[in-house]
Amino acid sequence: MLASILASGLAAGAIYALVGVTYNTMFSTSRVMSFTAGQLAMLGGVFGSMFTLKLGVPAIAGFVLTLIGCALIGIITEFVAVRPVLKSLDQHLYVLSTLAVALMIQQVAAIKWGTEPQPFPRLIGWGTGVTDEKFWLPVVACAITILGLEYLYRRTLVGRAFLAIAEDNFAARALGLPERNLRIASYALAGVIGGIAGFSGGELLLAFFANGALLNFYGFVPVALGGLGNNRGAIIGGLALGLFQQAANFMVGGIFSSVAVFTLFIVVLLTAPQGLFGASTARRV
Amino acid sequence: MAISRRDVLLGSAGALGAASFSFPAPAIADSEPIKIGCLAAMTGPSSAPTIGFNRGVNFAVEAINAAGGVKGRKIEIVMRDTQGDPTKAVNATQELISQVKVHAIWGPFNSGEALATTPIMARAKIPDIHPCVVETLIDPTKYPNAFRMAPSNSQWDDAVRNYCLNVLKVKKIAVIGDTTGYGVTAVGASVAAFKKDGADVVYQANIDATQPDMTPDMLRAKNAGSEAIVVWSVTTGMEARMFNTRAAMNWDVAFVGHPSLASGDIAGLVEKPENWKKVYAIGYKSCSYDAAGKLPPKSQELVDRLTKAGIALNDTLLWWIAGGIDAVELFAKAIETSGSTEGPGIIAYLNGLNKYPGYFGTYTFTPTQHNGYPTEDIVMSEASTARNGTFALAPGYS
Repeated sequence: MLASILASGLAAGAIYALVGVTYNTMFSTSRVMSFTAGQLAMLGGVFGSMFTLKLGVPAIAGFVLTLIGCALIGIITEFVAVRPVLKSLDQHLYVLSTLAVALMIQQVAAIKWGTEPQPFPRLIGWGTGVTDEKFWLPVVACAITILGLEYLYRRTLVGRAFLAIAEDNFAARALGLPERNLRIASYALAGVIGGIAGFSGGELLLAFFANGALLNFYGFVPVALGGLGNNRGAIIGGLALGLFQQAANFMVGGIFSSVAVFTLFIVVLLTAPQGLFGASTARRV
Repeated sequence: MAISRRDVLLGSAGALGAASFSFPAPAIADSEPIKIGCLAAMTGPSSAPTIGFNRGVNFAVEAINAAGGVKGRKIEIVMRDTQGDPTKAVNATQELISQVKVHAIWGPFNSGEALATTPIMARAKIPDIHPCVVETLIDPTKYPNAFRMAPSNSQWDDAVRNYCLNVLKVKKIAVIGDTTGYGVTAVGASVAAFKKDGADVVYQANIDATQPDMTPDMLRAKNAGSEAIVVWSVTTGMEARMFNTRAAMNWDVAFVGHPSLASGDIAGLVEKPENWKKVYAIGYKSCSYDAAGKLPPKSQELVDRLTKAGIALNDTLLWWIAGGIDAVELFAKAIETSGSTEGPGIIAYLNGLNKYPGYFGTYTFTPTQHNGYPTEDIVMSEASTARNGTFALAPGYS
């Protein structure tokens, strides 16, 4: 039982963590919580299954095409749902605009792809039981993504420009950084990360349009737990959420495990509103 | 002769008075086509049954019209696409009744739409035949115009319980559903009925259909000593995950339940084809083949006719096509027997229907019972044996 909790808990947790990072990546350059993050991960599974199973594209090419598709959806989100509301962030119109785009993505996926879950191919074929690739693949994908992001943010000029925009948007613009282009790039990057989450978790979650709403919520929990904009917090929060959820599945069963997750979420928000790893910020008065 | 103003007034009054007299209706009404409205989810996610039903409807209409129609009147189907949306179904119902002025309605084909449209049709007293499963859709007092030609939820439940207790002869049952309204209601009703019949419900659960790992619930069901798992869900992903988990646990327990256990989508979702064995889904005698691969003679005759007419069977279910044919033929018989397209005549005919031999089933309605499908015609099918829209009978039937 413990092995099963660890295997499926870490796998689901890694997917939630990646969706959390997707939220953070979009937030960092725009200060917008885009509720399309879960839908990007859903599309990772749907595009992956479409390219590799339906269209017969080899797995690696299918993976690349999936990431390109998700990046494009990320860019469209920036143009359609984020840019028009940036001037009135304090009115939180982005909640409506990004939710609207998320719903559109979900409905189009349901109509074009179907409302039944579709199979996702075995990618490597390693492992059985609790060591099956459907369990370890999301964890490996999460680890590689985090390493890649660390490299991007710390060792490359573009990554540092992202950090500069995230740190102080006005100062970065005053220094001549192309804020708009960097924001578009960050939404494309978020699309790629969401695509990786969906593709690596495809064998576990299947290619299913309803995964979007699920991942929107379970991906948001680690962001809230770990602190907005804090990727390390999102990773730890995501993995903890996956393990807690799977343990609750074993201990108390389906519906009650969701209640347990919501209860934990609310308790953490009440006790540490800035998140377990987030720093509370001073407010100008 | 000079015409005075008084003459004009008198003449006008006379003309108006004459216009208000009733004239005999022209004989044109008797040659008008019989209009049957059809509320069909032709597009959208729940369009699969409609595709099957419509093949049957079109086949029956063409056959009846080619034979001269009903007492010389052709049947005209007025189809409206509801997209599975209750709001669109309501609008279409109102349009069919008040503008198109249909004589009867076939459909809608899912319970969500029917819950919205049934009271509207009842107010207009339009005869309606539908195949929706929710119990409350049939109430001869509230809805004297509505007739169900397919099984209700409780009839499915009776058939599943009968198979578990009397054919498989198991007593320790696990009942599992999804967390939708349907799943929760169906599990509750099924558990109560099993307990009433003396079975031991050792495990019951409602599982979120998107839960990626079914091991926790399957493990609990196994530890509780379940001898059969009854499934009430329409979610093929969840069902396939349960089959895969059963295989991973080396457990040979039988799954029995909802027709979706036999959905073709499951073939691609199970890790190995053998994971889908020992799964018994609700099916129908008329659309099940025996150990020798033979359908009942009447069904075989229908399949032969459909094949001859070039109607595809391999991407749909035979009962959908047969149900569509039966609905049209029932309306045709009702109009032929009552001699008119008036609603009361059609309803009176249906109320007196006794063991009418349709292709899908043998229907019986009375003024107080509008569930027309016989429970004994519901059987369990081997879920993985689909062949031209029919399935093999599950083990235990002679």
